[in-house]
Amino acid sequence: MKKLSKKQRLLDVKTAILHRHKEKEKDNKKNASSSNKRWVGRNDEIDVLINKGLSISLSKNRDLTINLPEEMNFSKKYDETILYIIAIRRLAATIANPYKAYRLKSVNFNRLKKISTSAALVLTAELSKWDDATRQRLRPMTDNWDADILKKFIDLGFFDLFKTPPNISSNNSPSTLPRSDLVRYIKGRCGEAKKTRELKDELIKIVGDPIDKWMFLRGGLDEAITNVSHHAYPDNGMISENNKNWYLTGSYNGSSKELKIVFYDQGIGIPKSLPASKIWERALEVLSLFPAGERKLDEVLLKAAVELDRTSTNKSDRGKGLQDMLEFIRQRREGYLSILSSRGLYKLSVSNGKELVKSEHFDDPISGTLIIWSATLQN
Amino acid sequence: MKTLNIGRDFSLDPAGRFFSDEGDNGEKFRENFLKPAIQALKPDEKLHIILDDGVESYGSSFLSEGFAGMVKYGYISSQNLLEKIVIDYSDADFEFYKNKIITYIKNSKFKEEEYKPTRSKES
Repeated sequence: MKKLSKKQRLLDVKTAILHRHKEKEKDNKKNASSSNKRWVGRNDEIDVLINKGLSISLSKNRDLTINLPEEMNFSKKYDETILYIIAIRRLAATIANPYKAYRLKSVNFNRLKKISTSAALVLTAELSKWDDATRQRLRPMTDNWDADILKKFIDLGFFDLFKTPPNISSNNSPSTLPRSDLVRYIKGRCGEAKKTRELKDELIKIVGDPIDKWMFLRGGLDEAITNVSHHAYPDNGMISENNKNWYLTGSYNGSSKELKIVFYDQGIGIPKSLPASKIWERALEVLSLFPAGERKLDEVLLKAAVELDRTSTNKSDRGKGLQDMLEFIRQRREGYLSILSSRGLYKLSVSNGKELVKSEHFDDPISGTLIIWSATLQN
Repeated sequence: MKTLNIGRDFSLDPAGRFFSDEGDNGEKFRENFLKPAIQALKPDEKLHIILDDGVESYGSSFLSEGFAGMVKYGYISSQNLLEKIVIDYSDADFEFYKNKIITYIKNSKFKEEEYKPTRSKES
């Protein structure tokens, strides 16, 4: 050991400070490049959606207006409808917004002429998320909306989302339009199963009679809500507690007598949550029945999750909830249940008691899980 | 015979599996209602359980945790539990849930897991 001279000591301190600054610069560059990557990645994603047909107007090179299409419907026009839902979800997410990053300025409803109950619910949920992200500063401009669409969204309770109420012109006044058969949407959190009673009460008002076998639908809804708390929003800190919601609505078409119940959560989806769940080992047993190349596909994972309780030889007390969801249609012996989750669709159709299962793969994923029950009432 | 009327004594909206699911879940029903009621029975006494007095429905998560959990956590054997309870309802459709309860209890393995509360019992 040798005692350092004053000169040497000063030199060491200077070197250490210089080194510290260099490290800091390196960190700053690293952070800037990762933030850069985030917005560049998001812009690229939006550009891909535009190339696929997403209609937008761009101002100041970054302010985007999304122009909704004429029709939004997941069963007839999934590929087109989902582009708009994905774009709103991606653009509503708060990230550091450098000068060149796309920014969602507005969503234009003026072209929209037709929207299914499920698409209306999903759109409402996504706009609610965007409104939350902007600290509820959105204001709907409804002057040029189609009158039927306006009525539908009024009945759905869409405008209750906003702190600033819309300016509805007298031409489009809801009082001049016939009553729509749509239930005001219900937004809930984990454990709020009793809110489903509101749906039942409202549907009975619309239909005019009790709904046969409702108890089995209620059991399915209870399980959908339980799944939201167990699987949809993992406790990894990525999703804030305020965003762990589910949405529910129902509609009845008096002429076709079709009853529709729609449930939506904005979570990670069943295929993504399955490997981390307590039923994964049993799911693997079911997946082994599929060709190896197909076992990672969302529609296959979804099918395995739904049919787990029926097909697995290992009888456990977990993994029965998705089977509960099928029970309303099975008990009524007609209708269908569709589960859309990530890139997969599982659909059970029942006609005169005969069951048909269909699976489908989507190129673009729904960001969450959408469950649709449809039944024709005989009264 | 003692009576446990789920709708009147516990909740009109029983749903969910664990305390952590919030609401009136299966774990809460088992720990705070069913287990004490079973333990308070005299030898040869039975517990009359009413399923449908105001209750709309049951999900599998509630039923399996609430009833089969008694066996899974080693509070009572499945045979003993089935001998001690009489499940009743006035709406015939509730037979579906009675059958589920019986199946879940029968399929449950005695003391398969050690019980760890997902939240305090007072929740």
